[in-house]
Parts: sequence; structure tokens; C-alpha cells
Amino acid sequence: MSNSKKIVLAEDNTTLSLLLKFRLEKEGYQLFIAEDGKKGIELIEEHNPEMVLTDIMMPFISGLELISHVRNKLNLKIPIIVFSAAGQEEMVLKAFNLGANDFMGKPFSPNELVIRIKRLLM
Amino acid sequence: MSISQNVLQYFYQLPILLQIVWLCSVGLTLLIILFLFYLYYLRSYLRGEESVLKELFTQYETNLITYLYSGDIDVEISSEQKKISDKMKSCAKNTFKRNILISVLSKLKNDVSGEIATAINLLYIKTGLINYSINKLESKKWEIIALGIKELTQFEVKTAYNEINKYQNHPKHEVRNQVQLYYVSLFQFKGLEFLNNLKTPISEWNQIQLLEILQKFDDQEITDISPWLKSDNDSVVLFALKLAKIYNQFQVIEILLELLNHINKDIRICAIEILGYFHVKEIKEIIKPNFFDRSNEEQISFFKIFEEVIDAEDESFIIENTSNANFEIRFLAFKLLKMIDVNKWHAIKLNTTEIDNERIFNYLEAM
Repeated sequence: MSNSKKIVLAEDNTTLSLLLKFRLEKEGYQLFIAEDGKKGIELIEEHNPEMVLTDIMMPFISGLELISHVRNKLNLKIPIIVFSAAGQEEMVLKAFNLGANDFMGKPFSPNELVIRIKRLLM
Repeated sequence: MSISQNVLQYFYQLPILLQIVWLCSVGLTLLIILFLFYLYYLRSYLRGEESVLKELFTQYETNLITYLYSGDIDVEISSEQKKISDKMKSCAKNTFKRNILISVLSKLKNDVSGEIATAINLLYIKTGLINYSINKLESKKWEIIALGIKELTQFEVKTAYNEINKYQNHPKHEVRNQVQLYYVSLFQFKGLEFLNNLKTPISEWNQIQLLEILQKFDDQEITDISPWLKSDNDSVVLFALKLAKIYNQFQVIEILLELLNHINKDIRICAIEILGYFHVKEIKEIIKPNFFDRSNEEQISFFKIFEEVIDAEDESFIIENTSNANFEIRFLAFKLLKMIDVNKWHAIKLNTTEIDNERIFNYLEAM
């Protein structure tokens, strides 16, 4: 597990987080789950992950603020995938402007997410 | 003499009014103490329930994820999946646990698609939760019926169509909204057939929701919207107009032109906007002859889309409206005139004396 790539997931839907943790750990990744953006930032600073997955709408600190923190404060170039719900198209554009690499609209297929993660971490 | 006897003696010696005040004070104090105990009990009960809810939620979440990832390729359902499904089935018998179970399934179903979503739908049937939702349709309370339809929509139960269809014209709009969302979510554009028989209005919010659902589908082949544009139900016509614009229904232009003389003003305005969007020049032949008989909103809407259909021969009509009493129309007329004949525009500008018009010219010049 120590050699596996680390991913921080910031997502307030605990059931989805659990599902993704199960699925991604099966693929050999090490997943750190945060229920909000604030905890997400803490986990990123603590574990220095290879990738970040984040929802846009979250309590305390939004996904956009998290991306901004990663890119501008921590100066990390790691890939970031954003999850967005319907009607958040403008938010997605803002996320890309802030430095997100990819996005997935909810509802999404976990299998597709795995493919995108693999591609970005190649 | 004991203290209590002293107190009683003192009490009986008091005037009747003071006795009443004392009795009230003691009574109220006892009531407050009673309420404090009740609040303490209520708080403990609610905290206890919340903690049980959290515990069960986490337990069901884990069970659900384990179920979803413990499948076996060789068999339809693995032994572990069967075990979890049976356990959930027994939990579903209890209303409190059933509600938690449904919220766990819904929460995940909202955010995932593909195989996982299909597996959740299947689990909803296997655990018998589907029967509880169908039973809700027989409830006397409208909110329970709406909830039942919502659940059947979320878990894509197409077989409940006949039961749900009965509520198409339910007196409560919340129920009708859920029925409409069910049709469109599960049967896509074919689900819009409910518009043929709809007697009640579709709320603006529900129209937005329906359009949003329709846009998610891969198959964007829309059915013929002409009957809805001719409907007696104005909200159906307005909804069909939105469909015409979003799905570029050029084949209904003739009907859209007829709608310019519809009895409902909102429909006429909407038809103007869409015909402008489609750049249909025939709109001018219908609007211009009776332009001044139309409402202010229609006149403004027409001038807003005029840019899309304007020709040099419209100049006299535009000049006529540069002296329109409505400021917005006057502004749009000057703007259009500048577009088609800048010399004429300058000529009028030099001769203008009205302060309002001077402002318009200054603004248009700065643009």
C-alpha cells in the first residue's frame, strides 16, 4: 500500500465517497476521504497526494476554493478532477480557469472515473 | 410548631388575593420544573434517535457498498449479496429503518450511473422496497402519494405506469408534478404524451425540471410538438414553445405564426421571441399591420427581435416608431435606424429637441 498512488477525495456525499474508496482501493490507489473542502485541504497538505478528486458544492470551503488553494497557495501541479451536478456549468468553467484538469457531471459511472484517473496518472 | 405548620398558618392569614398569587406562583413553578424535565427527556430522546439513525445509516451504507462490489460473474447474485439483500428486506419491515434504507439508496442513486445505478434499482426491487412505494400510491394523503411516485421515479420502476397514470390530473399540483417527472424521466420524449390530455396547468418550475431531464438523454429525437402548440391548455402551449426553441423545430413555423394572434398575451410574446430566434421574416407581415393595437410588451418584444428580420423596406416603419410614446420602443427604433441608414439617423439627431432622445443618441453614439 505504501507504494500505491495517493488520492484525496473531497465529497460531502458519504455513500458516494465510500463507494469510490472501495472501487479505487481495488484498483490499487490509496484514498483519503474528506467530507468538506476544509478537511480536503488539510488532507492534501498532510499527505501530498498524486491526485485530487473534488465536488464543487461542499460545506465550509467549496471545491473551487480548494482548487485555488492547491494551485495558488500550495503551487501543486497534480491533476484535479471536479465533480459537478446539473446546472453547475458555470462553476465547471470557473474550475477549469482555476486549474482543474477534468470534470465529471453527476450522475457518473465509477468505471469511467477509474479510466480517467488512470489516464491522468499515466 | 413545625415549619410547615407555620407556613400554612401564615398562608391562611393572608388576604384572599395574596393567597391566589401564592398559589399561582407555586403552580407555575411546578409547571416550569415539569417542562424542564420534559425538555430534558425530549432532548435525550432526539439525541438517542439521531445517534441510532447515524449508526444505521453508516451500517446500511457499508452493506450497500459491500453488496454492490461482492458480485460474482458466474452467478446472477452471489451468496454474500443474497445475505445482504435478505437482511435489508427484513429491515424494510420497520418504517424507521425503511426510511433510512431508502435515503441511503437514493443518496447514491442520485450521483452514480451505469452498472452501479442498475444494481441499485435491482436491489430496490429485491428488498421489497418497491412494494412499500407502490402502497404509498393508495394513501389518502397527497404528500405520501407524491413521495411514492418520487421513489418509483428515482428507482426507474416502469411497471408502475398504470398505477401512476391515475394521478395525472390529481387536484394537488405537487402530485401532478411528480407524475410528469415520472413520465419524462422514464419514457423520455415519449413520456411527453401526457401533454395531449393535460387539463391542469404545468408550473414554470416543473417545465424547467422537465426540460432539464429531457436534455440529459442521448436520444434527442423529439416527437411532433404541433398538437401541443394547438392545445387548449395555455401552459402546454407555452411549454411546447420552449421545446420548439430548444430543439429548433423549424417545421412548426406555420403554427408559430398563427400563435401571434393567440388569445393569451404571454403566448403571443413567446411566439414573437421564437420566430425572431428562427429569423422568420413573415412575422413582419402579421405584426406590422396591427402593431399599434398590440400590447406594449408585444411591441417591445417585436422590436427586440426586429434586428433578426430587418430589411431596408422597414425604414418607414422604424422612423414612425422613433416618435413612439414608449421610451424602450423609441430607443430600439433609433438603434435599428442607425443600423440600416446611418445618414437618416444623423439627420434626425441634428433636428432632435427632446432631452430623452438626446440621451438615446449620446448613448448610441458611444456604443
